[in-house]
Amino acid sequence: MQISSKEVIFLIGLTSVIFLIAPLFLILYVLSYNRRKRKHQEDTLTMQKTFETELLKTQMEVQEQTLKTVAYDLHDNIGQLLSLTTITLSSVDLNDSPGATEKLALVEDLTMRSIKEVKALSRLLHGEEIVSRGLAAAIDFELEWLRRSDKFKINYSYNKEVIDLDAIKATILFRLFQEIINNIIQHAKATEINIDLNQNYDLCTLQITDNGIGFNVDEALIRKSGMGLHNIVKRSAMLQGSANITSSPAKGSSIIIKIPQQPTTNGKLKN
Amino acid sequence: MKFISVNTASEFICFLVAFIFLLKDKSTTWKMLIAFLLLTCITEVTGIYMREFLQIRNYPVYNVYLLFECGFTSYFFYHLYRPYNYPIKWLYVWYGIFMLIFLSEMLHNNFKGFTSATASIMSVIFVLASLYFYYLKLRDEKFEPLLYSASFWWVNGALFFYFGSTACNIFMDYLAEYESITYNNSIRYIIYNVLDVIMYACWSYAFICRYRQRKLSFS
Repeated sequence: MQISSKEVIFLIGLTSVIFLIAPLFLILYVLSYNRRKRKHQEDTLTMQKTFETELLKTQMEVQEQTLKTVAYDLHDNIGQLLSLTTITLSSVDLNDSPGATEKLALVEDLTMRSIKEVKALSRLLHGEEIVSRGLAAAIDFELEWLRRSDKFKINYSYNKEVIDLDAIKATILFRLFQEIINNIIQHAKATEINIDLNQNYDLCTLQITDNGIGFNVDEALIRKSGMGLHNIVKRSAMLQGSANITSSPAKGSSIIIKIPQQPTTNGKLKN
Repeated sequence: MKFISVNTASEFICFLVAFIFLLKDKSTTWKMLIAFLLLTCITEVTGIYMREFLQIRNYPVYNVYLLFECGFTSYFFYHLYRPYNYPIKWLYVWYGIFMLIFLSEMLHNNFKGFTSATASIMSVIFVLASLYFYYLKLRDEKFEPLLYSASFWWVNGALFFYFGSTACNIFMDYLAEYESITYNNSIRYIIYNVLDVIMYACWSYAFICRYRQRKLSFS
């Protein structure tokens, strides 16, 4: 069958129309993809802002916690030492030379202890400095105060390789540690706390367990009040990590926080 | 009156828009568009004059114009790719290939007739160049409002024209033979008019976007 010239021309016209419609759809596709790109960029920006706000909040909470510890120590420790110093000084009888010498020696000892405590407090006040010494050291420093109370048996072990967390991750993880310890002190009625800080090639793991009264995890997560467990989970997720909370009444509790690190091409850890 | 057609009118309007909005543009490449559009208008008028008044075939004019068209359009595409570190060597390679094809066809035609095969190949290359531009834009992580992007609309115009004219280019010889008497009512004439209007409308909008961009960067 032969095709007439008119039919060929009609076909050419039709093909040209199709060839005109095709770019139109292509352009529409590019524009729609571009819109999605904008949305993605906006979402990323929002996430970044949320992260920064959360970080600021975390830093403030670390400071607040430090001030609470300072206030507690001023009242319970240094305050007591100074009161004892005043009482001892006022009881010094200058006519009783051997007694006075003994009491003055006691006053001197009390004063020295007070100075030592004040120095320790001063170190604690530099919250950021504590974290900058490394997460492991910061946790150790924080536990020092807890050990003094003699209320808990504390076992702290850490892998010496935990040195590569960047300041942001270390601050947030440190704050999570503080809050978990606070929860244990306030609610767990525990006598033993175990802390384990570990770092494998690309994963930093902080595990805190206690032998306290335990709690119902699901209920606690639903409550969402205060800092609580909900925030521990949320902040771990913010660092692309996870928080695994396990507990049951009368069987203590365990919280495992895992924060990933991205390895660099030369095998070193990148923060 | 013979000089005024949809084709020439759209070209001239686009030239005027380019002149108004690109004259003070910072980029020399964009400013070169004014000269290119002026050359297009001159070519078109000369072509009509030769056909209508001198009663001679006008293909030599369009053959020469094809060299400028390929040279400038290719360079403009290169200019658009430059922010993405596109190597200039491919532009030179393309110029070399184009010249080879062009001269071969000219020799084959004994310098008599339009180099339609070269024009077809050039159209295909420009279609690919447009698609590559979209690919670069899609890959680019940085968001750019494409609705107001001068380069995007310039490429849109080029794609519409060169892709839309593919069928006409392929059957150029057939159509030329069939329509030699009644060109002004032919399908080729209608298609090229539509394509010209679309391309020059896109380009005019691109020049306005370019002007707007320049004004916004000043304020």
